[in-house]
Amino acid sequence: MPIAPKPHAALLIVGHGSTENPDSSTPYFDHAAEVRKRGLFAEVHCCFWKEEPSMREAAYMIDAPEVYVVPDFISEGYFTQDVIPRELGLDGPTTTNHHGKTWHYCLPVGVHSSMTQLILRRAAEVAPGVDPAQTSLIITGHGTGMNKNSTKAIKDQARLIAESGAGYAAVLDAYMEEQPFVADWHKNAATPNVVVVPFFIADGLHSYQDIPVLLGIEKEVGAAASQREVFRHNPHHLHGKTLFYSSAIGTEPLMANVILDQVRDFDLKHLAALPA
Amino acid sequence: MTLTEQLAARVADGIRHIGQVAILPGLHGHAYALCHFEDAGKAAGPDFGGLATHHGPDAGRDISIYAADGDFRFTKGRTDLVKGWVILLENAPDLRLALDHIYPAAVGLWLARERGDLQVENLRDKLNRQTGMYRYAGTISDEGAQALVQKVCGPAHACAKKILWRIDENTPLEDSEASRYDGIPSDAAPGKAIPLMCREACNHFVAECRKAAKAEFEAKQNTP
Repeated sequence: MPIAPKPHAALLIVGHGSTENPDSSTPYFDHAAEVRKRGLFAEVHCCFWKEEPSMREAAYMIDAPEVYVVPDFISEGYFTQDVIPRELGLDGPTTTNHHGKTWHYCLPVGVHSSMTQLILRRAAEVAPGVDPAQTSLIITGHGTGMNKNSTKAIKDQARLIAESGAGYAAVLDAYMEEQPFVADWHKNAATPNVVVVPFFIADGLHSYQDIPVLLGIEKEVGAAASQREVFRHNPHHLHGKTLFYSSAIGTEPLMANVILDQVRDFDLKHLAALPA
Repeated sequence: MTLTEQLAARVADGIRHIGQVAILPGLHGHAYALCHFEDAGKAAGPDFGGLATHHGPDAGRDISIYAADGDFRFTKGRTDLVKGWVILLENAPDLRLALDHIYPAAVGLWLARERGDLQVENLRDKLNRQTGMYRYAGTISDEGAQALVQKVCGPAHACAKKILWRIDENTPLEDSEASRYDGIPSDAAPGKAIPLMCREACNHFVAECRKAAKAEFEAKQNTP
């Protein structure tokens, strides 16, 4: 469902960014440009943890009296629950009179149910004509023993896709730093075809450089995605299986819709009940 | 007035530079044009003096990602903005967006400082909220931090921002080229440039603090 225009509000997209990889912030700017093009908000801005503008500089860019903050993050966890509220000075779903504005803090894009369709679309694009009944779909993330929430979004998506009737023989989750490990993909997938979709926002260090090594596609960590002359060619034939590897889910242009879905859901959950 | 309206009014009043960028209103019939300030003469010539011509604000991001040597410019105040381009813009909102791509938040920070609304964050506050591997940066001594400013900041070290922060509320930066710098790396006439503001130490400086703190710790360990 499309959201109604908000001519008096700004959208602030929050990303992680990187001091090392220029591709890390590209999807955020792409998402912002796409939303801006639709003319739904008075202003659309990005801010970052590791790049500029910083979160603490963001308020100085915004004219609008009302700001919707959408973390362009894949899961709920340390950044969305601790860092972003602290840096932006948010004290709940809605924070008033901060920098003279009202701030609405939406959930991160990765936990929205509409991500399911994006993953299925990305999986079908990367392995065209491949029979899902002979295919395992593996959704990969970082994983960390420090925060259980970091894998929840991926486990939720794996369950939703398994229940969706998409027809995959199996839908699995896998992680870089906790079990089940990405490197064990060929042991955990029983089918002849395997599609791996990285559940990251950007084609940064993890999805474009680290995971290909863990999968066995590459022998060593390569250059950043934008500096490659030739993108990876699917499929890869490894361990007696046919492997298809997609770019990060966050590079999908329809992510702009998910950002807007989170704004709409925020309004439905937090603002619909308020007296006019 | 909105930030965009204020920017447009100030450009109409004669503002012509921000960082290493020249702002050229009305160039060859376009509402605004941007280029490296050292290319301003070329841009004024026929066919923009052979500069690569871009239309629209999004080009501002593409141009400012890499230095000429291919280095990733993750801090945008660096003085190695590439030359050889001109961006053509047809209205004030696009001017503001293009400038926010090249120098993120700089216009807003400048206007906030002029209003007296800019909140500056001193170094100790910045370091004390670091987590993970950067938590250790907070152990740097005041002397070490003062030395680092002179080693890392200012135009001699390729940063064009005017430092507004102190070590802490009671400890100003020691006098140096870096601490005196005005945030204007171009040849702009007085009052004709938007200075770049450093309201908090950047991630690069924090990373350098961590290294220096580690060196201080190791030096103490090695002292008999």
